[in-house]
Amino acid sequence: MSAPDTFEPPPTYERFTLSDRVQHAVMAASFLVLALTGLPQRYIYRNNRYLDDLIDLLGGLEAVRVVHRAAATVLMLVTVYHLLAVAHRLLVRRVSLSMLPRYQDVVDALGAVRYNLGLAAERPRTDRYTWEEKVEYWSLVWGTIVMIATGFMLWNPVATARFLPGQWIPAAQVVHGGEAVLAILAVLVWHFYSVHLRHLNRAMLTGSMTEDEMADEHPLELERIKAGLAHPAPDPAALARRQKLFLPVAGVVAALLLAGIYWFVTFEQTAIATLPVPGK
Amino acid sequence: MKRLRLGRLLLLGSALVLLGAPSGAQECLDCHGQPGSTVAFKDGSSRDVTIDREAWAASVHGTMGASCADCHAGHETYPHPEVKAGSLRDYTLSHYTSCQACHEDQFKKQLDGVHIKTIAAGNKNAAVCSDCHDPHRQRKITGDDGKLLPEGRLGIPQTCARCHGEIQRKYRESVHGRALVDGNPDVPTCIDCHGVHDIADPRTTAFRLASPRLCADCHTDPRKMAKYGLSTQVLRTYVADFHGSTVTLFQRRHPDQVTNKPVCYDCHGIHDIARKDDPGRGLQVKANLLRTCQKCHPDATTNFPDAWLSHYVPTRDRAPAVYWARLAYAVLIPGVVGGMVLFVGSDYVRRRVDRRRHLDRRQRVEPS
Repeated sequence: MSAPDTFEPPPTYERFTLSDRVQHAVMAASFLVLALTGLPQRYIYRNNRYLDDLIDLLGGLEAVRVVHRAAATVLMLVTVYHLLAVAHRLLVRRVSLSMLPRYQDVVDALGAVRYNLGLAAERPRTDRYTWEEKVEYWSLVWGTIVMIATGFMLWNPVATARFLPGQWIPAAQVVHGGEAVLAILAVLVWHFYSVHLRHLNRAMLTGSMTEDEMADEHPLELERIKAGLAHPAPDPAALARRQKLFLPVAGVVAALLLAGIYWFVTFEQTAIATLPVPGK
Repeated sequence: MKRLRLGRLLLLGSALVLLGAPSGAQECLDCHGQPGSTVAFKDGSSRDVTIDREAWAASVHGTMGASCADCHAGHETYPHPEVKAGSLRDYTLSHYTSCQACHEDQFKKQLDGVHIKTIAAGNKNAAVCSDCHDPHRQRKITGDDGKLLPEGRLGIPQTCARCHGEIQRKYRESVHGRALVDGNPDVPTCIDCHGVHDIADPRTTAFRLASPRLCADCHTDPRKMAKYGLSTQVLRTYVADFHGSTVTLFQRRHPDQVTNKPVCYDCHGIHDIARKDDPGRGLQVKANLLRTCQKCHPDATTNFPDAWLSHYVPTRDRAPAVYWARLAYAVLIPGVVGGMVLFVGSDYVRRRVDRRRHLDRRQRVEPS
């Protein structure tokens, strides 16, 4: 079919849609800003010169607090978008939810440990999402829930104390800081190793992987794609019908969630408004 | 210029002593010991210039045989030179510099104090040396070790009260003020917080931000606090919390940055500091604490004060939610991250080994 001297690009396999990649970029940016503005706040009591310098570099403590909240709002927005995107995948496109944890992931994890220790002959062959990626994704889900819940309490302490024991607010502060340290260290160790250090995985930038990369990291998925079993094209008529139903419902849900975020960030003013300085 | 005038004064003083001018005060008291003599000033005010013989004799200047002319230069002769000061206050303000000759350290310090700055700004009523230490009556208030004698400490609030009466009334009713009267050697008087002579303006942001350290000087001293069963964790727990973090950061980086986060005295009172169990104002009483929170958080309800752990280090009994949250993350963080490091480490090593073996195999199969 093709002339022998024609350059044929090696096949690539789509891994992340543009929507996925934008979500990742926004989330990563807000995560970075939250970490940069959150950590030096958490460790003020340590009297560390470099963390103090960082706060000044970012515009001073009051500015850092405002930026932290702005970045938190961005993270909440991208979370809402992600929920809708997952709902679309589930309800409209009806693709399999390959990120859900399965028993096989536990088997794979134990297999990987055994292989690394020389107790197994073969590395477990992984599917579309490896157990390592699932650990990361679900850690992020868990961490985001914890940070949003405790962040709400710290952002709106007076309102929180109307429903919950007052002591939950300093407890929320402990959890917020602890979870932050856990998340940052997990990203530094787990994420950096698996997508930067082990080999530079560009899929989150380019959206796709080469066949070699697929064979190395997602051999089972590659096999299914080659066997023509993966990604069966959905029936366009059914897709359009479901889409028609989904969009208005999603619109309403999105409006409700956005209203929730608005409610979150404006719930009370005492914690952020500049009160008159006592005695002045 | 001041120095020059003083030098001349001293020279004159010593010359007069050599010439047999009055030494000590006896000769002056011949007249000034009798009641009735006054000095009139141009503005119409006058001053009784009678010196109480007994008070003088008991005063520190009197006992050490100081001469009147040491301070009142030019008055050795009679009739005395005409008083040039327009008012009694002007006279005081033009004479307090004579203290410098003997009390150089204190004099220099007070030049940096808020009172002199207030005078410089135009308020002549601010205190100079003799307003606090009447030179004709001032008794010795320090012991041989240079430390204040008990009666010296007792007198301090009364001295300040000559101008700051309202504040002294509050202090007198405070936990510190009451204990002072009972002879307690540990409680602060005015000068322990405000300093003496080089008194800083307490209305500045810098003073406000640094004030927790003032309180902490005593309240983190285990020997002092043990006597009264008080916690020494008050500063640490304050700094660990949101309010204290903000204040300490500003204090160490931007001491002039205004903040609305409270310092010790915003909750505990400035001069009217109450015992923690005082029914009306003590912060251990929940209703009082809530009222204190509401000063800044007007919508605060019953549960809200518990958000502040009242300077307690969270323990299983005192603040279980905080205690368990801390414990959970003290286990979770090293547990999870440690597990990750172990796996990542084993994975890294294994992949290197695999690659080397793979290369070795290839070299054996295709020898170059």
